[in-house]
Amino acid sequence: MAATRPLTVCDVYDRFMKGKKVAEDKWDYEIIPQNATRLKEKYKLNFGNKFVPEDKATMDNLFNAGLEMLVETGFYCQDNNRVMNVTEEEVWEGIKKTPTKIILGDGRDAARFYPRHGNSPVKPIIQGGPTGSPISEDVFVQVMQSYAQEGIVDTIVNGVLTTIEGHSAKTNTPYEIRATMTELRSVREACVRAGRPGLAM
Amino acid sequence: MRTCDSHECSQLNELKIDMNALNMLAGWTCNGNTIMIEQMPIFGGYCGMVEETAICDVATTLASFTLFSGNFHLDGPIHIRWGTTTARETLQVAGHAAAAIDANTDLLLANQYYPMAGPCTEMCLLETAAQAITDTASGRELLSGSAAAKGVVQDKTTGMEARIMGEAAKATAGMKIPEVNKLLNKIVSDYEKHYTNAPAGKTFQECYDVKTVKPTAEYVQVYDGALKRLRDYGLDIKH
Repeated sequence: MAATRPLTVCDVYDRFMKGKKVAEDKWDYEIIPQNATRLKEKYKLNFGNKFVPEDKATMDNLFNAGLEMLVETGFYCQDNNRVMNVTEEEVWEGIKKTPTKIILGDGRDAARFYPRHGNSPVKPIIQGGPTGSPISEDVFVQVMQSYAQEGIVDTIVNGVLTTIEGHSAKTNTPYEIRATMTELRSVREACVRAGRPGLAM
Repeated sequence: MRTCDSHECSQLNELKIDMNALNMLAGWTCNGNTIMIEQMPIFGGYCGMVEETAICDVATTLASFTLFSGNFHLDGPIHIRWGTTTARETLQVAGHAAAAIDANTDLLLANQYYPMAGPCTEMCLLETAAQAITDTASGRELLSGSAAAKGVVQDKTTGMEARIMGEAAKATAGMKIPEVNKLLNKIVSDYEKHYTNAPAGKTFQECYDVKTVKPTAEYVQVYDGALKRLRDYGLDIKH
């Protein structure tokens, strides 16, 4: 049956509220491994020693197995221990709704985020940064600048400040928020110092 | 933040999420923000081995777009024993999952980097290059990294690791896949034998002049050594 529309975040919330109650350990230790194993066998998946598949059949079988995993297993909400379900048609509607072209950053520093498909001769976007690694407050700007100044880098991903004004940037405290806001200003400063103020973060 | 920057929201392992994430997504979707959804499937964890983890990887990637209104997905299959994304098995998961989705959709796919070795070591640079080669050849659109020393040691990341990530990706783009697989086997075989004694590497303060933000002569020399190894293995990396 055709989907009524692509799912919104609120649709997902509503389905979680009405979903079937499942114990989290049953989800983790039974439902996920059993369904994954069943689909591996159904689609006869065996990657052998390859890092990247060389045949279309393996790609299609894995895609269909993953799609079936999502549709038949559903998704789990850790807060209310309920499972929501989605139909295959809704998955495809969601894919259709997703933008396939995005511009990251602005001005002369903008990066075009377009589909490459296969091993296209077009290089992927290089997002340089510590990817959430802990960084000291006194060198945060310099660490971020070391990425922004690399010519091969197209966008920036930030590290995480371990302290803010000497205080631990502990989760769920005002210091966490102050640290986050400082990270944003510091990344911007690092990009300016590297002569690339428009880089996306 | 601008709408041309991106916000990050994480799923939970495996095929799970919490209400906090939905609340953030509700705000960002109303604002028209660019949304990146992260999920790092664990090889050897709840899913199982390579193929099962790749199945879960495809499922969670599709969920990022169709349940959670993401604009791009940040992957990061991680090894339960080593805590890295650059292990042979996690590269297989990432390479197969990306190729499968890429062959069937126009979705925008990214991957993140957690090598084992620390900065200023050839092992760290070779690990990063191996993942960049896998990600590029399997059709990913964005490479995000690199969190050297597994991303858990303070100040152990630098721009030089992003340089090798980008240069390896650039050299790989357009290569034939069977050649890529042979090349990857050589590189991964080189570093995987050092997992139990991986070099810790150096901190940013030891790798760069902090005032000028220039890498030390030692790190440039290590970088040149890694480039030579990659060229010897068959990657036509220029600079």
